[in-house]
Amino acid sequence: MEKFVYIALFAPLVSSLFAGLFAMSKPAKFVGVIASMLLASAFIASSLLAYHVATVGAVHVTLMDWISVANLSIPFGFIVDKISVTMMVVVTLVSTIVHIYSIGYMDHDKSFNRFFSYLSAFVFSMLVLVMSDNFAGLFIGWEGVGVCSWLLIGFWYHKPDLTREQNPSISPSWAANEAFIMNRIADLGMLVGIMILFWVTGSLQYDVVFAALPSIAASVNGSYILVAAAIALFIGAMGKSAQFPLHTWLTDAMEGPTPVSALIHAATMVTAGVFLVIRANPLYSMEAVEGVSFFIAALGTFVAFFAASMALVNRDLKRIIAFSTLSQLGYMFAAAGLGAYWIALFHLAAHAFFKALLFLGGGNVMHAMHDELDIFKMGGLRKKMKWTHIYMFVSSLSLAGIPLFAGFFSKDAIIETAFNEGTIVLWAILVLTAGMTAFYSFRQVFLTFWGDERYKEHGIHPHEMYKFVLIAMSPLAILAVIAGFFQTQFQAFVTSISTLPFGSLPNYEMSEHTHHLVWILTAVVLTVAISGIALAWFKYGKKLIRSEKTENSFIYKLLANQYYIPQLYEAIITKPYAELSQVMWQKVDMKVVDATVDFIARVVYKSGDKSRAMQTGNLSHYLNWMGLGAVLLMVATVIFSIIYNING
Amino acid sequence: MIGLNHYLVLSGLLFAIGLVGVLRRKNLLMLFFATEIILNAANVAFAAISHYYNDLSGQMFAFFIIAVAASEVAIGLGLLILLYKKHGTLNLDDLASMKG
Amino acid sequence: MNSILSILVFFPALAAMLGFVVEKNSARAYGISIAAIEFLLSLWLWISFDSTSGAMQFVEYIPLIKDFGISYYLGVDGISLFLIVMTTFMTLIGMMSLSIKTDIKNMIITLLFLEMTMVGVFVALDAIIFYLFWELSLVPMLYIIGAWGGPLRVYAAIKFFLYTFAGSLIMLVGMLYMAYIFHEASGVWTFSITEWHRLALPIDTQLWLFAAFFLGFAIKVPMFPFHTWLPYAHGQAPTIGSVILAAVLLKMGTYGFVRFSLPMFPDASVMMILPIAILSLIMVVYTAMIAYAQKDIKQVIAYSSVSHMGIIMLGLFAMNSIGITGSIFQMISHGIVSGALFMLVGMIYDRRHTKLMSEFGGLASVMPKFALIFGVMLMASVGLPLTIGFVGEFMVLMGFFIVSPFLTVIAGTSIILGAVYMLALFKKSFFGPVTNDENLKLNDLTGTEIAALVPLVIVVIWLGIAPSPMLQTIDKSVNNTLILMSHKAQLPETKNTIFIAPQSTKETK
Repeated sequence: MEKFVYIALFAPLVSSLFAGLFAMSKPAKFVGVIASMLLASAFIASSLLAYHVATVGAVHVTLMDWISVANLSIPFGFIVDKISVTMMVVVTLVSTIVHIYSIGYMDHDKSFNRFFSYLSAFVFSMLVLVMSDNFAGLFIGWEGVGVCSWLLIGFWYHKPDLTREQNPSISPSWAANEAFIMNRIADLGMLVGIMILFWVTGSLQYDVVFAALPSIAASVNGSYILVAAAIALFIGAMGKSAQFPLHTWLTDAMEGPTPVSALIHAATMVTAGVFLVIRANPLYSMEAVEGVSFFIAALGTFVAFFAASMALVNRDLKRIIAFSTLSQLGYMFAAAGLGAYWIALFHLAAHAFFKALLFLGGGNVMHAMHDELDIFKMGGLRKKMKWTHIYMFVSSLSLAGIPLFAGFFSKDAIIETAFNEGTIVLWAILVLTAGMTAFYSFRQVFLTFWGDERYKEHGIHPHEMYKFVLIAMSPLAILAVIAGFFQTQFQAFVTSISTLPFGSLPNYEMSEHTHHLVWILTAVVLTVAISGIALAWFKYGKKLIRSEKTENSFIYKLLANQYYIPQLYEAIITKPYAELSQVMWQKVDMKVVDATVDFIARVVYKSGDKSRAMQTGNLSHYLNWMGLGAVLLMVATVIFSIIYNING
Repeated sequence: MIGLNHYLVLSGLLFAIGLVGVLRRKNLLMLFFATEIILNAANVAFAAISHYYNDLSGQMFAFFIIAVAASEVAIGLGLLILLYKKHGTLNLDDLASMKG
Repeated sequence: MNSILSILVFFPALAAMLGFVVEKNSARAYGISIAAIEFLLSLWLWISFDSTSGAMQFVEYIPLIKDFGISYYLGVDGISLFLIVMTTFMTLIGMMSLSIKTDIKNMIITLLFLEMTMVGVFVALDAIIFYLFWELSLVPMLYIIGAWGGPLRVYAAIKFFLYTFAGSLIMLVGMLYMAYIFHEASGVWTFSITEWHRLALPIDTQLWLFAAFFLGFAIKVPMFPFHTWLPYAHGQAPTIGSVILAAVLLKMGTYGFVRFSLPMFPDASVMMILPIAILSLIMVVYTAMIAYAQKDIKQVIAYSSVSHMGIIMLGLFAMNSIGITGSIFQMISHGIVSGALFMLVGMIYDRRHTKLMSEFGGLASVMPKFALIFGVMLMASVGLPLTIGFVGEFMVLMGFFIVSPFLTVIAGTSIILGAVYMLALFKKSFFGPVTNDENLKLNDLTGTEIAALVPLVIVVIWLGIAPSPMLQTIDKSVNNTLILMSHKAQLPETKNTIFIAPQSTKETK
């Protein structure tokens, strides 16, 4: 089985290097085709591994030592257990589809080959992240996906910077840097968490660290250490999964090509934070860190609502979907924080399918509309883009949590968990958010595909995407519909005992009480969701009616400007930092530190320059000075001998 | 009776005269004379103290100084003559070519 | 081969002498071949080095002035070995990328002479010999900056020379005093560093001597607030000067701390952890901020050097093997990465005769290969895992974490601030549309330039993926040093602070 582990891991790397060879030559279809085939082989290997894990047991391989010095020993070790194999299958499946999709989507781009190189490099990093058997390896992947995300967001680096009014993300390169730096802030937290765990457990291997947790909790101050580690690691997760207050980069990341948004900023990379919490479930389910876990759930719930509220009024197709991703990540964190790790993982997988589909559909629309993203300028597209419409409709149904679709099973389970844990406030917010989710998803569907054909005013002639692209998308569509039916099998798979320690997730079952109420709870959620869709239909189903009054209201403006948070960050962090840097350089470094050095040098120089006057060249003057010196020496001798005599 | 103190006072006076000469005179030849006076002030002191302590090494030293002074004057005067031939003056104010 | 170290030291110098009779047109080829031979010799040194031992190897000992215990005493251990290899490697690469046209012969001779002094510093085990090479290294650098530098070159060269010279004179006084104390204690005059290591000193003497050595080393590193000569020197120096200065000369300062301060004054070192850590943190954060404010690409990299040297200083005073080994690895890593970055800046300067970011923009479209290699080096500089830059930084932070978690978090901001100034630099010069018409017709890297840069890229990635063999060799010697320090330590706090890891039984594959 080791063979398959290496195929799954290194096929994307090979693909990336292969595409990289052609990065500076002309676009060539075969690059995309070969990259897709290599990714497909990684997917097949992952599926075989999943089967192997289910039937035989987990696989653990060690490639070589990475850093091994004194008491620090970090190998390149990879573990394929129930948690990681789920992620591997999801990641490789979505990325294979996105690769194929990109062959069609990027076909006119002059950097076609480079794109595939970056995309495959991303998949490799993501696999390192999920497969690593230690925290350092996780961090390698963590940073690796960060860099790939930087490269891909800034893929169209040649675009100029615009003002925030013209383009909320300023420019692709700006958004890329923002994403990278924000992630770095969180990475520092993660690094601190890793260091704490290393110094208290003496290792970074998951199994050693997790096995040592109970004894640490029992030691003096042990619970504080664990809380610190849990918080630090979660800060890392917050960055990658764009949780408040580190969330602004995700919507700006929509500057990247749409396949990137689908793969990285919806299905895989942004879920890395959730994955981290799930992976470290032995830590987060400790009694000592209960508070942190609850905080995670609360923050997740808050973000779910917060992001959904911003999606309500946005006009940018991709940004709406990005906000919805943010909101769904909040749901996942809510589940993970409440201890329902398998439900979080299940929603992660289901979300990956329907959200990737939604984004790819959005990409089709963008392609058809010549990169126009304003849904107010679309409408009625379903006549021209039948299949895209079906895909997006299906994925929106899934996202809205309509029964029989994948999202219903996974999201409903999370809402149920919130009820089951007795956190009624969280439950209420999550239910409300479900309604908002349904509203904004269908607002976007109706504005894009239904109603009056507003695009005609702008002289755009939309056309459906290539057939092979639509076919490539179909697996996602099928999964977005049926994935939910496998909920019980999935639960059994990830929660059953693994052959490796910590290779599976703790089971989570609803209590009897919840079980009795399950129909009522479902009905409540469903009512809210359907009324959301109905509201969207009444407002936008027929045609777009804009009301000046609403759009000028304070709340609308607040939401449309993302609560003014990007502006706030700019005003209180970016600008002051730049100004302070300037002051540090020109005022402190040049005027104080360097000036002091120069001052000392100048004192020496000046004193020499001044005393130069003594050197008249006139022997007589020299003799006078000599006489003076002799007298001074004599006086000094007398004074010193007097002092010496007094003392001695 | 002339005692040690008288000699030392004489020596001090000579030294002071020499010192004033060194400090005030501008002519190199005069400076030479002044240094000779200083040297001889030392010689007087050496001889007097030598006699006082009945130790001949002081007088020996005085002879030594006289010898050195003589050779020094020989070379020094030679240099002075060369200098005079070259610049036509021995005034120090006019010989300040080493001004820094 | 018993005298390989002498050969390593004096071969470039002899070759430099011969260089005077070499034809002007073939001077470059001559220089490259000499540097290549020297590099191969150092590789040979590495291969024949016994990596299972942490002791001094290839020792050469010839008494010079017996009465004062001054001797020609050379040796190499895990700490200095890789610095030597890095020195010869960077000299070779620098020579290959040399784009200077005027007085090329003098430049080659100067560089070879400089190489002698740099290797000499790293192999010397006698304080006087060390001092000799240490001071001699200033002369060629003074000449390089003063003769081939920019418009302010004389100011920069003299500032560099006098500043570092003043520091090293104080260090010399420290050395003489150390020898005197040694004589008082044992009745023998010696300047042998290994002998000095064995002497346990009273605490206050340790503090005084620590201060004297500190000034010499800190100015060289350069530590805040002694760093202001560096931006001028880099700003005015020709590319090759900056490359050697950043890659090797700065490392002489940090090397001095490992070779002298730590083992000779363990108690003083432990007492000075906090002050030095604070200075290092100022270096890390403050210069990272200044780097962000710069308008000139080269100045950004110059200030970033100071910031990275802060990390190295922090690691040295972690008093455990992870931190110190990581710090020594970081010296190598910074040498290669900053050297490469200075080279890259030099290449763009050769084309446009400006280094101002505002003059560029959109270079990635015009010069993709250049942008690619710059990008790799940038990522190594901001410490991306699987590049050389991460290993050292990670280990330093890891090592210092046990000393002070709080200070480590502040030092860790370097991964954020580093990303801020480097990415801002990259965005301003490489991204966006090509706004300046002069940039439109820029040529991408030439064959010679690629030949000089590719080895650096290979090393950056290779040592990022497989640093372990190197780390273990370094660790052997670091561990010896720590044991020595702990053995000599007089205060209980010192013994408690120094952390010696149990030697792992696992052998390198």
